[in-house]
Amino acid sequence: MASKMENIDKPIDILDDANAPPIAEKSGFLPIETNWFDRLFISVVIWVAMSLLWFRFIEPLGLSIWISNVIALALAAFIIAKG
Amino acid sequence: MKKKTPWPYVFFWVLISFLTLFPIYWLFVISVTPSFELFSTPSVILQHVDWQNYTEVIGNPTLRGYMMNSLLISSGNAILTTTFGFFACYALSRFNLSGKESIFFWTITNRMAPPAVFLLPLFLLLTKVYRIEGFTLLDTRIGMILVYCTFNLPFAIWTLRPTVDGIPKELDEAAFVDGASPWKVITEVVFPLCRPGLAVTLILTWVFAWNEYLLAATLTNFNARTLTTGLSEYVTTTGTAWGIMAAISIFTLIPALIVFSVVQRHIVAGLTFGAVKG
Amino acid sequence: MKSNTFGWILLAPTIVVLFFFGVLPFLYVVYVSFHQWNPFAANPYMIYNGAGNFRQIVFDGAFLASLGVTVAFVFFAVLTEVIVGYLLAQAFMSDFPGKAFFRTIHTLPLIIAPIIVGSIWKLMTTPSIGIIPHLLQSSVGFDLNIGQSAAAAFIITIIMDVWHWTPLVTLTLIAALVSLPPDPFEQAQIDGAGKWQIFWHITLPMIAPAVMATVFIRLMDALRIVDEVLMLTGGGPGSATRYIGVHIFREVFPRTNYGYGSAISVVVLYLTIVACWLLYTGMLAPRKPRKS
Repeated sequence: MASKMENIDKPIDILDDANAPPIAEKSGFLPIETNWFDRLFISVVIWVAMSLLWFRFIEPLGLSIWISNVIALALAAFIIAKG
Repeated sequence: MKKKTPWPYVFFWVLISFLTLFPIYWLFVISVTPSFELFSTPSVILQHVDWQNYTEVIGNPTLRGYMMNSLLISSGNAILTTTFGFFACYALSRFNLSGKESIFFWTITNRMAPPAVFLLPLFLLLTKVYRIEGFTLLDTRIGMILVYCTFNLPFAIWTLRPTVDGIPKELDEAAFVDGASPWKVITEVVFPLCRPGLAVTLILTWVFAWNEYLLAATLTNFNARTLTTGLSEYVTTTGTAWGIMAAISIFTLIPALIVFSVVQRHIVAGLTFGAVKG
Repeated sequence: MKSNTFGWILLAPTIVVLFFFGVLPFLYVVYVSFHQWNPFAANPYMIYNGAGNFRQIVFDGAFLASLGVTVAFVFFAVLTEVIVGYLLAQAFMSDFPGKAFFRTIHTLPLIIAPIIVGSIWKLMTTPSIGIIPHLLQSSVGFDLNIGQSAAAAFIITIIMDVWHWTPLVTLTLIAALVSLPPDPFEQAQIDGAGKWQIFWHITLPMIAPAVMATVFIRLMDALRIVDEVLMLTGGGPGSATRYIGVHIFREVFPRTNYGYGSAISVVVLYLTIVACWLLYTGMLAPRKPRKS
């Protein structure tokens, strides 16, 4: 009890791996280990980035945003399946 | 390592301390200089002390109101977040709730979001969505207390969690065997043992709420304005009341300085999301 | 045993408050960002606009300029803080009288409200009031005017941030240095390694995790700087110090163009999340040995 009392106001190190929740992870072609949520997150991030860049550089040339969306969707499916 | 004489280090740290303290000292110098002397040559050494700016701030009913608001909002928020955080930590520590680790991490992400991004949605929600007839939470003290929970409640939860985890489970189980109600266990067994941790959390959340500016500046107009927003009202494009501004700054600074001396060694742990134990 | 219902009741206030003031604003801002909504326009209602707001953002020069200065500010401020913080932490490693006292003094800026930090530095640097322009003028004849010189304003915001946050870096690195075992250093000295070699091959790899964690935290905080800059320069002169939070507060918020403002908020949130996530995985994940 005494030893526990000494640490009571020490916060948890949230960056410490020992405190991270256990989730099924796997290694795919991505450089880091990921679970399905990470891969979904990466896909969404890529989709948004692509859309914004498309608006800026490619849409003025006359190509519709839907082309970008289709590519992003295909990429997302690939990442979630194989990442 | 070679044994060196310590004096170069002392000299070095005196210099660093000077650099740290001088800006604060300068704030004080400006606050006690009458306005007609301000624009003469700046002087490091105080010639004489003139408390006029302070009496003006205290004598101003609007600023007194702001001070009261700051006090009520930060105290209300600190008590609310510490209580809720304590309950939440007890629940996370003692019950086998499904997905509780996800909930814990989700609460922390609430603090990491940049507040500037939430200015507009919070403003719109408070004015247009969270309303009952004519009553909205905008520009009310209770509204500010609740808004500050977004950054203080996660903080309270992650600083309190080890405290609550550190109380041996056998203690409350023994109390349950004796026939105590769960509520009684929390208030009479766990709470007294958590007091040191709760005090640190209470103090730090209080300071964070007291120091907050951005949300208070956008979500209040007059009734719930805090001292930090009052400060910015004295900086205008047409001219700034420098002495008054310095005096308000000192008033805002004093509680934080008092608190600083009490919880100095917990500040670093608090500011680094607990990643570094201070 | 106790029922889980009671546990959920205890957790409920936290979940409810964070849902209404944390999650719902997030969902709401995403929803509004796809609409045109200006209560003072001819049509004061929300009109669905698709991705129209985002089309506009990528060509918004003021917004992009603000992103640029934010990145520059974060880079220089955090770099300076880590270097100065490390040197100060090293200077703390030997014994000298009054160590605890100096440490306390050094921690002081951390507790000061950001807005007060801004006002302190405004008083330090405003021409004709501040001591810094006065000293520069009388000693080297340099005319410091943060109201007119973009470079001066930018540098002063960095100095202010360094003054405010270096103590955090120092204290975290002291904690890291204190916990290092002495053996490798003694061995290296016996082997005749130079100071620089010891730093590069022994100290740095050993404190790298602590440095990374500190850099991560400082970067996240520096990205959201608002109060200090708002007080010190108000984002000026021009857009020299209009960092992204300041941009939202001063340019986006007052213009009641809620749809467009929400879209900007969403983009900033997106960039912040991506930056944090990249930093987190890039800097902290390599600590994990890769399982194959």
